[in-house]
Amino acid sequence: MTTALIGQPVSRVDGRQKVTGRATYAAEFEVPGLAHGAIVRSTIAHGRIASINSVAAERAAGVVAVLTHRNAPRLAYRPHKGAPDPDVGERLHMLQDDQVNHQGQPIALVIAETLEQANHAATLVRVSYTSETGTTDIERIEPVLPTQKNDQGQVRPPETRRGDPEGALAAAEVKVDYTYVIPRENHNPVEMHATIAAWDGDRLTLWDKTQWVHNVADEIAAVFGIPAENVRVVSPFVGGAFGSGLRTWPHVTLAALGARVARRPVKVMLSRREMYYGVGYRPHTVQRVALGASRDGRLAALLHDGYQETSTYEEFSEALLNASRFLHSCPNVYTRHRIARMNVHTPTYMRAPGEASGIFALESAIDELAVALGVDPVELRLRNEPEQDEFKRLPFSSRSTRECYRVAAERFGWSRRTAASRSMRDGRWLIGWGMATATYPMNYAPASAMARLLPDGTAEVRSASSDMGPGTWTSMTQVASDILGLPIERVKFTLGDTRLPRAPVHGGSMTMASVGSAVQAACRKAREDALTRGGANDVTEAMRRLGQPVEASVDVQPGDASQRFSMHAFGAVFAEVAVDPDLGETRVRRIVGAYGAGRIVNPKTARSQCIGGMIGGIGMALMEHSVVDGRNGRVPNANFAEYAVPVHADAPSLMDVIFVEEDDPHVNPLGVKGVGEIAIVGVAPAIANAIFHATGKRIRELPITPDKLL
Amino acid sequence: MSDTIAFTLNDRPVEATGISPAMTLLDWLRGPARLTGTKEGCAEGDCGACTVVFERLSSSGARICEPVNACLVMMGQVHGCAVRTVEGLRGRDGAPHPVQIALAEGDGTQCGYCTPGIVMSMYAFVAGGEPPEPTLLHDALAGNLCRCTGYRPIVDAMARVAGHAADAAPPPAAGSVTGNAVLMHGATRFDVPATMAGLLALRRDHPDAWLLAGGTDLGLLVSHDRQIPARVVHVARVPELQALVLEHGRLRIGAAVTYARLLPFLEGPLAPFGAMVRRLGSRQIRALGTIGGNIGTASPIGDTLPVLLALDASVRLRSAARGARLVGIDDFFTGYRKTVLAPDEIIEAVDFEVPLHGDIFQVDKVSKRRDQDISTVLGAYLLRVEGGIVRTVRLAFGGMAATPARALRVETALLGQAWTEATIERAAAMLGEDFQPLDDWRGSAAFRLTVAGNLLRRLYMRASRPDLVVEIDQL
Ligand SMILES: Cc1cc2nc3c(=O)[nH]c(=O)nc-3n(C[C@H](O)[C@H](O)[C@H](O)COP(=O)(O)OP(=O)(O)OC[C@H]3O[C@@H](n4cnc5c(N)ncnc54)[C@H](O)[C@@H]3O)c2cc1C
Ligand code: FES
Ligand code: FES
Repeated sequence: MTTALIGQPVSRVDGRQKVTGRATYAAEFEVPGLAHGAIVRSTIAHGRIASINSVAAERAAGVVAVLTHRNAPRLAYRPHKGAPDPDVGERLHMLQDDQVNHQGQPIALVIAETLEQANHAATLVRVSYTSETGTTDIERIEPVLPTQKNDQGQVRPPETRRGDPEGALAAAEVKVDYTYVIPRENHNPVEMHATIAAWDGDRLTLWDKTQWVHNVADEIAAVFGIPAENVRVVSPFVGGAFGSGLRTWPHVTLAALGARVARRPVKVMLSRREMYYGVGYRPHTVQRVALGASRDGRLAALLHDGYQETSTYEEFSEALLNASRFLHSCPNVYTRHRIARMNVHTPTYMRAPGEASGIFALESAIDELAVALGVDPVELRLRNEPEQDEFKRLPFSSRSTRECYRVAAERFGWSRRTAASRSMRDGRWLIGWGMATATYPMNYAPASAMARLLPDGTAEVRSASSDMGPGTWTSMTQVASDILGLPIERVKFTLGDTRLPRAPVHGGSMTMASVGSAVQAACRKAREDALTRGGANDVTEAMRRLGQPVEASVDVQPGDASQRFSMHAFGAVFAEVAVDPDLGETRVRRIVGAYGAGRIVNPKTARSQCIGGMIGGIGMALMEHSVVDGRNGRVPNANFAEYAVPVHADAPSLMDVIFVEEDDPHVNPLGVKGVGEIAIVGVAPAIANAIFHATGKRIRELPITPDKLL
Repeated sequence: MSDTIAFTLNDRPVEATGISPAMTLLDWLRGPARLTGTKEGCAEGDCGACTVVFERLSSSGARICEPVNACLVMMGQVHGCAVRTVEGLRGRDGAPHPVQIALAEGDGTQCGYCTPGIVMSMYAFVAGGEPPEPTLLHDALAGNLCRCTGYRPIVDAMARVAGHAADAAPPPAAGSVTGNAVLMHGATRFDVPATMAGLLALRRDHPDAWLLAGGTDLGLLVSHDRQIPARVVHVARVPELQALVLEHGRLRIGAAVTYARLLPFLEGPLAPFGAMVRRLGSRQIRALGTIGGNIGTASPIGDTLPVLLALDASVRLRSAARGARLVGIDDFFTGYRKTVLAPDEIIEAVDFEVPLHGDIFQVDKVSKRRDQDISTVLGAYLLRVEGGIVRTVRLAFGGMAATPARALRVETALLGQAWTEATIERAAAMLGEDFQPLDDWRGSAAFRLTVAGNLLRRLYMRASRPDLVVEIDQL
């Protein structure tokens, strides 16, 4: 008999499969008769295809078919908006016309017996274009307000104002007013996106890399004009995604289209380079933050005006400014969110979308204010700690910022910091200590789960969720075992298949809250049912007596808590850097993060999430940058050699994660807030602030590469 | 001539037929062999997800396990080798290997996609019996990217098993292939000559053939650019090209000597060279990549080239028609990726005098990221200071011009002068006359010049006040 598995540092249930190479990812399914698809992509950013000649490609060895807009079947493209799709605009329709909207847009699909043959034939397709003027240079675009307010408009209004921000700023005793820039970043999961499509009559099976199997089924059904039940999507293992697997991207449609035309299964796997031209990215952002404060360090005015790139065909926007409206107490606040429409493909959500970028600007500015005031950065934040969410005018369901500052500062040894920049050294290295606040909303969406108890005392629990790495398999197994009172080895959790009960998107840090609550409820129901019917007070015994399975399916819905409370996870991140004054090299030596994130179901996997987020934040702060050629939208560093992500040696020897005890009865039945996204928030500003402390140089444009420090 | 590629895979002999010898090992494993435990994350040698281990016996009969990137290796190179993939890894009792257990229990895996590659790097490290010192652990894992875990748990897991892991694998079969081999399939012919005469004849008769050493530059043409070569000549089995000799104070390095084999020789006075080579690519790259390949590619940011310039190396070239000739490294590079190598010639070896005790010899690599990164600027310097006067000086830089090049004006400003801070300052000011570096998104010209100047100041500091210079690894 096991007790209280929730909260235990259980090892991953799928760990063995992963270390032995037996975990099967999208591109690896064995499907008989498989042909391979290679995508031909546009080499201009905007215009029309004047001619496309595929004769040589069609004649090449092994080629089964070459699809272009001239011969591809017309597709239904019924309206469909999944939660990760922008509300305004329409996705690109694949091979339906001659229009080119961005560099690297798919314009043909070559299908051949082998991948080598498909790739080779793809190079033989001859295309000429009529270029039209467009722009891919964000510096030359006047950003505009989004065209319309939408459903999300209330949550994410483009413009908000409380009090008299401009007046208060003008009158403020101390002010800082700067612009912060974050370049485009790509998710770059180590696994590349891939889809295998196989038709059986008008039924389609897709093995896909996705964070939401049901959305893939819904979208592909809409594209092909078939019922969603006809599309089965299988995605048991996802080799990382960080948001790139939220939407259903063009290559999924192309695989299905190719398979239909070829009348056999087709696999399309993107190359690393293609990962920069078709699965979204964190958009380039430009943000002005102006702060005004009294001499004693009380915020009087906060203006945060940001814009980000989006495509010409969809208006993507992220929660860039949300945190500025409630994170610190301030009576006079103005925020405005605009978009810069360019001939690029649509950006998408990337780990802590909006928060990671917006809070970099906000928390850098707060640090600048602390310097201007001569107040300790932690103290300044404490002086502006709000009593409630001043934007929504709701109490926080729980907010542990004070506790996070206290424990993280103590663990870090913050009290030994000397305030002046360039005042700490190790040999010739300049040492800097910096910190930042982090927050990310608690998201909770409707979810379903099924629990089935078997007479042999085992259980099967199912929900069509996904596990791109955080440990959904494990945490759900844990929740189920905990509720059922069964040892963890006797519970089998299944996810990643549209045949399972519907789950929400695996993103926005909502899986634990939503799917976890559904699993909890389904297991409770099955357990009660089994105990009552079996007349025992233990599931194993009850099931033995019953001799037949007991099944329970449950749908959970968030209640009205969001009308009564402002619900977020909060945290504090402290970083130590060493900067080489001669070469400008920066090393992050220590990071300490403290988080109030509700109940922690599995401290082992949660800690792993957090240090993974810290490394992501180091990448964001110091190296990640998808260079966009302003002339044509090309990304010259579209590879892992030149788009630098952190390597082993970049991991600080001390990465400390502290979860502050938090008992929040309001957020959801499990009391969890999620840690996947908050883990990256606050890291980049903590590092930038530490670099300022080390060098006296305030770098307002990421990444902070050596050239900016010399 | 044969279309059969014979090698040992996971302790079993296999014969791969009906495939191009230019196909990558990764494509073969994930395709025809259906061994999908080996992952593909980039096909360019950058991520390590495709790491497999090449095993062989050393001359003393010890097992040598080297991690390599399967995405860079052509099947023709595999002929006669012993390869282990994650599917062939076992512990003593048939259970998972200790490194696998340590990684799973230590939460060194999240999405799991990088994991098999990391497992294979860990296995190679552990099998090599290296101690779990932090720099060695990082070095062994530098070639494996993980986007999820934050690396810490992986390093910790490896530290736990290093030094004492059970290994159940039988020793690899001794090199079963000797003599020339010719592999052919489809559009590609792949020659593996076993003698210098054979190599030179092929080079003479087929000057357009790809001359393949480790393939870490050339392999990209196959795995990334998807080119299909008509003819490949693999140089690695020619004994003269594998020579590695230290005698009379000179080190001679055969062109096909890999960085991994070279490293033990870069100790003592050559330690700064060794430290830099440890940051050249990753272990996976160093197990394949050769110094001849670095010279052959002649990139302005080829990392060994400024070092060879500083050391005043000479390059031995050889052709069937004209025999051997020696070219001083100063005369070898003629333009951007251009050299004096004739179409019928091969690089046989490079050799140089080992710096003397008391010489100032230093190498600095500056890159955006600590490991696995292309140099922004690389500086290599050899000076002799006697009685406080600079008697000889050679300063070479990569990343500052179209070829790796010496800073001749700066050298002149130093030669015969007192070795003081003021002299170095004066000399550093001349850098702008020696170099007009490129301005691109990888680094601005001004930045490169500033860095090069600061490297010269650091050279002086290190030589005169070593206590003041804390190296990055000591942080
Ligand atoms: C991920 C990755 C990281 C890398 N990191 C670095 C780095 O940090 N620093 C660095 O300098 N390089 C780096 N490289 C480049 C490469 O590893 C080196 O240039 C290496 O030395 C090439 O050796 P090779 O044996 O693999 O060459 P190959 O690819 O086999 O050949 C390279 C060229 O040399 C020619 N050649 C080879 N042998 C001979 C010979 N005997 N005679 C005449 N010509 C010959 C070939 O024809 C070819 O043109 C990296 C490469 C990769 C893929
Ligand atoms: S696939 Fe990335 S290194 Fe080989
Ligand atoms: S676990 Fe996902 S890349 Fe390493």
